[in-house]
Order: sequence, then structure tokens, then C-alpha cells
Amino acid sequence: MKILVCIKQIPDMASKFKPNAAGSWFSEADLAFRMNEYDEYAVEEAVKLREKDPASELAVLSVGPARVVEALKKALAMGCDRAVHVPDEEAYRKDPWQIASIIAGYAKKGNFDIIFTGMQSQDRGSAQIGPLLAGMLGFSCVTTAIGFSLEGRTATAKRELEGGAKGVVKAALPAVITCQLGLNTPRYPTLPNIMKAKKKEIAVLNAAELSSEAALAGTEKFYAPVKKGTGLVLEGGDAAALAGKLIDVLKEKTTVLRG
Amino acid sequence: MNLELTEEQKLIQSTARDFAEKELAPVAAALDRGEESREKFLANIAKLADLGFMGLNIKSAYGGAEAGSVALSLAITEIARACASTAVTLAVNNLVAEIIQTTGTEEQKKKHLRDICSGAYPAASLALTEPGAGSDSAAVSTLAERDGDGWVLNGSKIFITSAPYAGVFAVFAVTDKAAPKGSGISCFLVEAGTPGLVIGREEHKMGQRASATNEVSFENCRVPGDALLGALNKGFSSAAEGLAGGRINIGSLGLGIGLAAIDYATAYAADRKQFGRSISEFQAVQWMIAESYTELEAGRMLLMNAAARREAGKPHTKEAAMCKMYATEAANRACYNAVQLLGGYGYTDQFPVERYARDARVTSIYEGTNEVQRFIVAREILKSL
Repeated sequence: MKILVCIKQIPDMASKFKPNAAGSWFSEADLAFRMNEYDEYAVEEAVKLREKDPASELAVLSVGPARVVEALKKALAMGCDRAVHVPDEEAYRKDPWQIASIIAGYAKKGNFDIIFTGMQSQDRGSAQIGPLLAGMLGFSCVTTAIGFSLEGRTATAKRELEGGAKGVVKAALPAVITCQLGLNTPRYPTLPNIMKAKKKEIAVLNAAELSSEAALAGTEKFYAPVKKGTGLVLEGGDAAALAGKLIDVLKEKTTVLRG
Repeated sequence: MNLELTEEQKLIQSTARDFAEKELAPVAAALDRGEESREKFLANIAKLADLGFMGLNIKSAYGGAEAGSVALSLAITEIARACASTAVTLAVNNLVAEIIQTTGTEEQKKKHLRDICSGAYPAASLALTEPGAGSDSAAVSTLAERDGDGWVLNGSKIFITSAPYAGVFAVFAVTDKAAPKGSGISCFLVEAGTPGLVIGREEHKMGQRASATNEVSFENCRVPGDALLGALNKGFSSAAEGLAGGRINIGSLGLGIGLAAIDYATAYAADRKQFGRSISEFQAVQWMIAESYTELEAGRMLLMNAAARREAGKPHTKEAAMCKMYATEAANRACYNAVQLLGGYGYTDQFPVERYARDARVTSIYEGTNEVQRFIVAREILKSL
């Protein structure tokens, strides 16, 4: 079994965002970066699968500037076998089509059985990479997985649907699975594994050699969010109905009520 | 000049921060008040051991992470931001482990380091301080006398961190009564459960209340000959290197508490309105914020310098004393400012800054009072003249 997990490094979401000089994206000055939350679920699920089959191999890939090596090293410390870095100091200028094309350019030669990634990035939030990648590779695609198992060449995934409904789908390998909150609890990398990850391979590949696709959608302008209250007020209806709404919100938007 | 952390150091820092935010911060106040059990406290310690935090600077051959002194400092600071009691336990475990690594025999390392690193020992204790030997630590009177091929210990220790759940104690005792003061002292590794090792009263402390601090006494406590750690009668000088590391640990711990306090108070000040505007618009408030962050940053730089020197194997006695003294006092001033910024609310347990202020207070006292640190700094400077 050959497994690939695709990750992105994103700014700490508690940061204060300001537009960059061109006004086309946010300025990275003064921001702290971390692995995209949904990609952490993807890494955890990939590592769990890897651990079940000692003969399998798990690679982690990221497209982005030099700083993404820290996220790759975290994934290696969590249990990935090797890493692939596609350096691009201005990856934010690329649209999802281009990023997916780069990943597909790599994955085509890799003979992967299954590819995990987050259901979206926390910064751009396009949620397109997974489905685009599946389309480009001709793989099955399951999005927003909150449960996952594999039997032979068939993946079974529980999916989160709109309005709190859940569905179960089966997909034949090779497949792309995009991961949602609730799928698992990502492990902390252990300190000895962080140090051992220093010895794991981080291959550096040239983006231009993997894909020369042009952007289909350019980002024109970035607006910093207007500061607003963080609370949500539920109004109308009787107390029982309001309590029900509150429980729905807590279940969907937070981890408070998850076992 | 390179002030950038390595990627591994950054990852250890962020792992410690994530763990502290998710696992420690939610229970720290309840642990402080005794509303959460000691089992909960020790469960968090065990989780930290699983992640490799108990042997941060111990060789991997003995179960450690081999991550270095800088990473140890970073980790303690991040843990202390959430729970100073957990941080001091981690700091002392690492201190004892490093002393064993530096001075122990191969057998002692195999036996004890693995158990400290893995968490098989819930903690490790350093038993140096006595009622009559605080800052004057060479005045220890606990006696170790030859008994066949072993030793018999008699005496009392006080303020022993983690004593009720420590798996092993590094105990300093007099082995040559005739020797000049300080030179006839040896160190022994005494395992929990050894007959004659008596865990006494637990102190009710002002801060760091979740961490146990006890009297420990030795009543005809017999230990085998191979319990001797390091050279006979050289217990002090051989432990000195480890104790310097302990000072960096406590400076790092103080920094974490100070940052937690001023971070909280600054966010509060930005939000709190009086006289029709945010109090952070007042110069008096801005100066408190500016001074605390500047002092803590200076403390951080002193800590990083001392830790980097230690990691590189360079002399660091002076630097370790400097950073311990400065960072813990900066932390206490930051806590004072934090309580002041919250005003009456800061004096209540509805807000965390009173806990930070209590937790920070001891950092200028234990692991060598700051007066002793000043003495060490001056001695190191003057001896080079």
C-alpha cells in the first residue's frame, strides 16, 4: 500500500491579518504558522493506516515556501516515512487548479493507492484540492470524511452532510479522501520522534517540472476581516427549541459534545 | 550571530504549547485549588513522559529525547504558561536525570534514566535542602555511614519536590565528617519504598500548589554500595554542572508564568473600558505593558544564551545564575503589573493572574535564592580579575 498525505501550512487563525503591499493576499510578516487543522486529521488517519500495514509506505507532500519544512517535519515526527517539498515562495499566488496540478504531477508517478488531505485549508478555504486531484488522477473521491476504514481495495467513509446529517459511502481504491473535524484526534509528535525525523528524507522537487498549468482563477484583492464580536445569539422560540439549537451548534461547530 | 531556533526546537516548543493549551490550561486553576485530584495531575505528568518530556536532554540510549538544553528551556516555559506545578515537576525530573547522566555509572543510568524518561517513575526528587541547610547548602547534616558494603542514612530534608510520588531520590549526605565544609558530601540514589525512607508532612504552599513539597527523613535507611552516585565525598562538585542546568530550568519556568500573566493582563487592558475608553490608551498602562514585555524578552535572551552555552558544552555557571535571577524577577514584576492591570478583579480567583502571582513568587527563592545567584555571578566575575 502506497499512501500520500498532502498538507498545507497556514497562519495561526488567532492572528491579526493585514493585506500585503500589493493588496492581493495577507501579509505574512509577524504571523506564526502551523499545519492546517484538517490536514492534521489527514496525517493522523494516514499514519494509523500506515501502522496497520508494516509493508506500506507513507509520504507527505507540501507546496509552499521554505517555512513549510517545519510542517513537513511535524508530519514526519507523527509517523510519515518521507517528505516531498515543492518550494514556492509565492505559492499563495497559485490557484487551486495549479496547486492540484503540481500535486497530480508528482502523484502520477508515485503509484499511490490512497491520498489523504484536509477537506479545506483554514486560510483560503477553497476545498478544491482534493476533488481536483482525484479528477486529474482518475481516482475515486470522498470529501469531508468523519469516519474511515479500509477493507481490501474498498474504502468506507462516513461523511458529514449538510444540516448535521451523516452518510456512509464506499469507494474503490485508488481514492482521494478529504478529512473533516471529528475524524480522529491527531497525536502529538513525541520528542524522540521529532529528533529522529531529522534523519528522514525530505525530497525537494521543482514545481515547474511537475506542472506548467496556468491559473484558472486569479486572486485580485484581499480584505482584512472587520473585527466583530465572537458570540452567537440564538433568539426566538421557546426554551426547549433554543436549547436544541444550541446543542446543534455545539455539535457542528465545536468539539464540546464529541466523545 | 544566529538567534533563530532550529525546526526541531520550534516543533518541540509548539508541541509543548499545544499540549499545555489543550491538556493543562483547562485544569490548572482547579488543581491549584485542590478541586482536581492529584491523580489528574499525575496523569498529565504521565502523558508528558509518554511524549518524551522527562528526559529531554538525556541520550536516546537511555530512553531520552536527546533534544538539548535550548529545547528543554523552551518546553519548560511553554508548560509553565499553563501550569507552573506541572512545569516544576518536569524541571526537577529533568534535573535529576541530567545529574544521573553526568555522574552515574552505566548500571545506574540503565536502571534509573529509563524509568524517569518513560514515566515508570512518576517523578524524581532532589533531596538537598535541610532545615539548617538552605542557601548554606554545604551545611547539610544528613549522615551516611558505612555499613558493610552499603550505607546507612540518617537525617531530615525539607521542601522536597514530588516526594510522595517520586520513584527515586538523589540524596546529599555527609560521608566524611572530618573533611572541610562542603567537601565531605556524597550523593546517593535512594529508591522509593526503601525501608527507613519516610515521606513526611506535605507543605501548604502559597503557589505551585498542585506539586507536592514534603519533608523527607531517613531513619536508619540502608542503601546498597552501588547507590552512591558519583565520586565519594565529591557529591557537591560533581552535581554542580547539573545544578547550573536546574537554574536555567527555573528561569525558564519563571519566564512562562510571567508571559502568561502579562499576556492575559494586556488582552484584558485592551478590552477594559474606563473614562469612556480602553485603559490600554492610558500611558500608565502602556508603560506597565512595555516594561514587562521588555524585561521578559531580556530574560528570554539571557535564558537562550545560557542554554545554548550549556548545549555547546561551554562554561555557563555565571550565565545560568544571571538568567535565573533576572528572568524570575522579571516574572514577579510582570505578575505584579498583571494584578495591577486587572485591579480588584485581579485580586480574585475569578481571573488567573492571582494564581500566576502566587506561582511566580517562589521562583526567586528555590533552586538557589536570587541572593545566592547574585553571589555566584559576582564570584565568577571577580575570580577572573
